[in-house]
Amino acid sequence: MFDQNGLSLDQAPPISVVLRFFLSGALFGIVAGLLILVFNTAIFDPAAIEAVILTHTLTLGVMLSFMFAALFQMLPVIAGVKLTAPVRKANMLQYPFILGVIVLLFAFYSGKVLLFTIASFLLGGAILSITVTMLRELLKLPNHSSSSKGMSIALIALGILTILALYMTGTLGGIFEGMHYLQVKQAHFTFGLFGWIALLIISISFQVIEMFYVTPSYPTLMHKHLPLSLLILIGTGTLLSPIIADVWSFVTPLLALLMVLYALITLKRLTQRKRPITDATVLLWRIGTGLLIASMLLMLSADYSGYTILAKLSYLSFAGFAISIVFAMFYKIVPFLTWFHLSSQGYFTAPMMHEVIHPKTAMRHFYIHSATLLVLALSLFFSPLIYLGGFLTLLSFGWILWQIIHAWRLYLHTQRTGEKFEMNIPTT
Amino acid sequence: MNISQFMTQEHRMCDTTFAEAEQAVANGDWEAAEKAFLQFSNETLTHFKREEDELFPVFESHTGSTEGPTQVMRYEHEQVKGLIGKMAEAIESQEKDTYLSLCESMMILLQQHNMKEEQMLYAMCERLLPPELKDETLEKMKQVEL
Repeated sequence: MFDQNGLSLDQAPPISVVLRFFLSGALFGIVAGLLILVFNTAIFDPAAIEAVILTHTLTLGVMLSFMFAALFQMLPVIAGVKLTAPVRKANMLQYPFILGVIVLLFAFYSGKVLLFTIASFLLGGAILSITVTMLRELLKLPNHSSSSKGMSIALIALGILTILALYMTGTLGGIFEGMHYLQVKQAHFTFGLFGWIALLIISISFQVIEMFYVTPSYPTLMHKHLPLSLLILIGTGTLLSPIIADVWSFVTPLLALLMVLYALITLKRLTQRKRPITDATVLLWRIGTGLLIASMLLMLSADYSGYTILAKLSYLSFAGFAISIVFAMFYKIVPFLTWFHLSSQGYFTAPMMHEVIHPKTAMRHFYIHSATLLVLALSLFFSPLIYLGGFLTLLSFGWILWQIIHAWRLYLHTQRTGEKFEMNIPTT
Repeated sequence: MNISQFMTQEHRMCDTTFAEAEQAVANGDWEAAEKAFLQFSNETLTHFKREEDELFPVFESHTGSTEGPTQVMRYEHEQVKGLIGKMAEAIESQEKDTYLSLCESMMILLQQHNMKEEQMLYAMCERLLPPELKDETLEKMKQVEL
């Protein structure tokens, strides 16, 4: 039973698998910065194609890349899933995925039918095949933790989200008539933000908050039932939307309430941590969950008041939430993996976590990231600030890119020059 | 109190003393740091000894598996012991940054190890071992000293 459960960190994939997804995420983040500079405040107009392009650069290019990195690493370590041939799987996913995202962005920009068709094949094939592979392995597990259950549910949401996206690209590509286009668009949006991004972050946090910061666990009711409740709510909304036109006006407040509850408990847990030292990652979790609360309250206020500025601030806050949490995870995962893989390979000179990324470096990035979010929010009121917002986005993801390159170079340098203690144990 | 509760409680105690040592180092209070670190390493090593001398052999003989989970746990114990040695050196030479950096690695390593024990190994022991053997093993574990 244990063998199947993949107990050890030694069953984690090679570090290159994780770093390559972080790398593509950082590069798409840089693209997002450039797009903000080019598109200016058109990015805030939900009806504008510029907003659609930037949103997909961030959600697909940045978030999905980072989340694949997290899944490849965490499925074996936290959930106990054995992913065979991880390098081959990562390659088969990443190349069509990157190409697919680029083609999709050009398809949005040009409206060319052929590009939508190519993007559908590339993205649909890559995302659905890895989703099915990961889900199949997860379902084989004899024992499920709340995290592994949550990850399974998030992956189901990713699968549905992708199928809904294929319906839309199929419609834009002229394959379908698109009778339900608007309902599918709403469902795609809700599955994407709540069903995939939020659900995966929530599921992973059930274990990493406790693990990284040594806090009490989340309430049993929450970690056992929240992921499935979210999926059921979104699924119900989607299925009923063709029959009940305003179904989302009932579902969305419930989703928002659950998100706020989750965020409040996370903030509470962060105050209960046994390790009182506050580093950049704690601040990123705080700002991230704080922004989740802000985003939900702004979304509800926008729905009731009809003020579009509130809806725009809500989207921005949600993006801030997701990216803050991803950065928080990055600053723990990359230094730990660099140290762990090298020290497991027996290198005396394996760099310590602070040598890979020093807490001060992470703290500087926290300030850049916070400034980015603040300036982008202010640019809604004073549009010339959008240029500064674009520049800060570039700087923020450039900072991440540099940390990845630095960690990888340090890893290779240690392997090339480090003294090694030969151990008769399996290493990656 | 059963095996799972007893051992889980020990994990939490180690976390507390670990955090005390970390905070003391961060404050530059080396005397308090040394005291808390010594307590942390004693508690951790005693806990490992309870598992390696008593719990693991019982689990192995009952399940007939010596190459499964207990082997992985033993290997991870060695990794933790290696880090304890490095942390002791850092305390002795009062290298604050080195110590805090080692703390980061130690906590992630230790927490994922503890989670696996609590969620799987102890749970399996509770499920698979007969009641009288569990009581006997728990009593023996309590007697273990460094």
